[in-house]
Amino acid sequence: MSIQQLINGISLGSVYALIAVGFALIFNILKFSNFSHGGVMVVTAYTGYLSAIGLKNFISSTPLFVITVAVAALAGGLVALIVERVAFRRLRINKSPVIYYFVSSITMGMLLENLVTVFASSNFYSYPFTLGSQVVHLGRFTVATSDLFMLTFSAISLLLLIWVLYKTRMGVAIRALSFDVNTSSLMGMDVNFVIMATFVASGILGGISGVFLGINYTLYPQLGKMITKGFIASVIGGLGNITGAVIGAILLGVTEVFFIGLVGSGITPVFLFFIMLAFLLIRPQGIAGKIVQEKA
Amino acid sequence: MSYLQDKVRVNPAKELRHMNRLEVRNISKSFGGVQAVADFSLELKHKDIVGIIGPNGAGKTTAFNLISGVYKIDTGNIILEEKDITGFEQHEITRAGIARTFQNIRLFQGLDVIENVMTAADPYTNYNIFETISRLGRRKKQEAENMEKSMHYLDIVGLKDLAHEKPGSLPYGLQRKLEIARALATNPRVLLLDEPAAGLNPSEVRDFIELVKRLHKDFDISILIIEHRMEVIMELCRWIYVLNFGKLLASGTPSDIQNNKEVTEAYIGEEDEQCLL
Amino acid sequence: MDLFVSVITFTCITLIGVMGVFVVTGLTGLFSFGQASFMAVGAYVSGVLGAKYNLPFPVAIAAALLFGLAAGLIVGLPTIKLRRDYISLVTFGFGEAIIAILNNSASLTGGATGLSGIPQLTSLWLVLLSAAACIFIVANFKYSKFGRQCLALRSDELAARSMGINVNRIKLTAFLLAAVMTSYAGVLYGYYTTYVEPGMFNWTVSAEWIIIVFFGGINSLTGAIISALALASLPEVLRFASEWRIVIYCVIVLLIINFRPTGIFGEYELFARQGSSKSGKGA
Repeated sequence: MSIQQLINGISLGSVYALIAVGFALIFNILKFSNFSHGGVMVVTAYTGYLSAIGLKNFISSTPLFVITVAVAALAGGLVALIVERVAFRRLRINKSPVIYYFVSSITMGMLLENLVTVFASSNFYSYPFTLGSQVVHLGRFTVATSDLFMLTFSAISLLLLIWVLYKTRMGVAIRALSFDVNTSSLMGMDVNFVIMATFVASGILGGISGVFLGINYTLYPQLGKMITKGFIASVIGGLGNITGAVIGAILLGVTEVFFIGLVGSGITPVFLFFIMLAFLLIRPQGIAGKIVQEKA
Repeated sequence: MSYLQDKVRVNPAKELRHMNRLEVRNISKSFGGVQAVADFSLELKHKDIVGIIGPNGAGKTTAFNLISGVYKIDTGNIILEEKDITGFEQHEITRAGIARTFQNIRLFQGLDVIENVMTAADPYTNYNIFETISRLGRRKKQEAENMEKSMHYLDIVGLKDLAHEKPGSLPYGLQRKLEIARALATNPRVLLLDEPAAGLNPSEVRDFIELVKRLHKDFDISILIIEHRMEVIMELCRWIYVLNFGKLLASGTPSDIQNNKEVTEAYIGEEDEQCLL
Repeated sequence: MDLFVSVITFTCITLIGVMGVFVVTGLTGLFSFGQASFMAVGAYVSGVLGAKYNLPFPVAIAAALLFGLAAGLIVGLPTIKLRRDYISLVTFGFGEAIIAILNNSASLTGGATGLSGIPQLTSLWLVLLSAAACIFIVANFKYSKFGRQCLALRSDELAARSMGINVNRIKLTAFLLAAVMTSYAGVLYGYYTTYVEPGMFNWTVSAEWIIIVFFGGINSLTGAIISALALASLPEVLRFASEWRIVIYCVIVLLIINFRPTGIFGEYELFARQGSSKSGKGA
């Protein structure tokens, strides 16, 4: 594995990290895997595209990229809010069993993805800014500028998130909620508000990752499938654990680049599947997770 | 009825009357840094009724979870009728002859009352998947037998008329009875009852005590009870173990325990001279 | 007339797939996201044997069922031991892996361009009979010790183990039954359309089946059947709005989950058996 590949893997991993963390945030407080996250990513990626198309004659490439990301992030927050209200709020009120959250999230994800298909067709679109073709030389190694941007953006976003979680009151509230929803509400916390805030945070991360995926893979409606990469990363890192999700994501990115180099991108999903399976059997709690014993 | 014979069953010979039905030898369990149960031993004889008491958090349910296989034992052994069943899986332990009820009722909500009981007897029927999907072979006969036997268990606890209700719609006291009927359907040699009288009003408690006496008379079964309601323990048990902080504090007959100062202190605290009136 | 036959055929095939999902997800509570991949296994194994090696139909069917069973074991054995969230991930991954393998074995399967030349041997009668047989099989499964134990472990796995139920063995049995049935559906599919390609068996198909079951109510076999009949024939009826079909599905499901989570049919069963659930609220 060359250093070049390693760098590519880490960049890819950083995008996965954003997805994984967005995923982990929701898992932490509502204890289920939010498959609608993929749909949110697709919608925001396309929203970013629309804004880029609209503004491209007025702003040059690099600021255009930044604005696109910002727009997508905001869109992500908004869509996530709608998703929470429509798909999950009532389930919480009804105290429905976990299985319904599952189905609801999958359905919501499919809904968003298909709405995009209806309005935008299945064609592939590319963002109108030309970051991708430029490269930056770091000593002997080349890094695509877009990769570098993504790495930086991801790192900044994650650091911001950690700051929010550990240094602000809202962050404490979110963490309290992740331990026990009922007790938090008994302590006077406005649970609905905090949950909405968490969804917004998750949506913002989703929005950013949506744009990055769109850059990497061009825009198409099934982009939401990338959510599984985030899920895998979360699982490897330990479901719900934020640092674990990041580590898992980087590992996943590096492993994926390695296998693509080795056997080509076609058959790589098979290898990743078996590695993930092995991981789940040998260390199901993930790198950073704990096994929680069920009490009788 | 013979069809409910279990293949994993420990030998059922009559000589077993003299040995201990269940022996728990020095079991310990810790979770992270917390020692939940330390070096606990007990003996349960043939057709015995033994109680386990102790303040909250003393490790009583943990002990049950260790015996029934919910938790893995750190050190120690469980011997059922001279056979070491330490380390067995939960369902293997049940099939060997130990059944239980739960402190927080755990009935199968998706099934109705009779089905809850039939399900516990299902592992002992032996018609296979092909007989099932084709409706040929032993299926019909064994289903009918299971139904009949399960109705019988419901009758014993007095729930026969509610056979087709959903467990969630039963009042608390009846749910507890259903759990007992379900446990009985596994044809156990040892029955673990975890706070079976919790949440029952005084007349239900009396009813429950009579039920246990009847079970003890009619079945070849040894019973281990965790309880906080002292009238239950004192009236039913031949012997009592007292746990505190995971360790055995005292053991003896009901009157031994009643007069044991350490036990009182563990529950209530030390006597304050000034409070003596 | 042709359209009529085609709609009925596809509906029956979907019905069989939905029966599989009912057993695995409805009865046993396993969230398998890759059921369609068993259909792929069945379609391709029988298709290759029929198109390339000209083996007789019964042989192709038998081989497909065997491969379906094997695939079920490969996926099932590790899966049943995992926690709920992971099951969906692993089964999804398996589905993706199967598609990747099919795409990359062009010499045998035609790769991404698909496999054609499968003889058209699926008649209307065969498909109707097969669907009826599968309903019969699943109904018998539900009203037996298997069905009861599945529902028990779905309700409370720990309590189920404590009642002597070998949870892993029951989960695997349900999983394998579904895998074999779904493989068979794949055979019927391939031998009707005479052409299959990997993209026909992706996760959206699996997801649609799950949605159909939830629409009818995961506790109701009758609901699953009626739901399948209604929703599977919908694409043809709604041909003019085919783009919106899935959007409409999703909206309907979201409405149901929010306002009638037990599905349209709840616990209702057309022929409730003695010793089994009558209508009421369940988990």
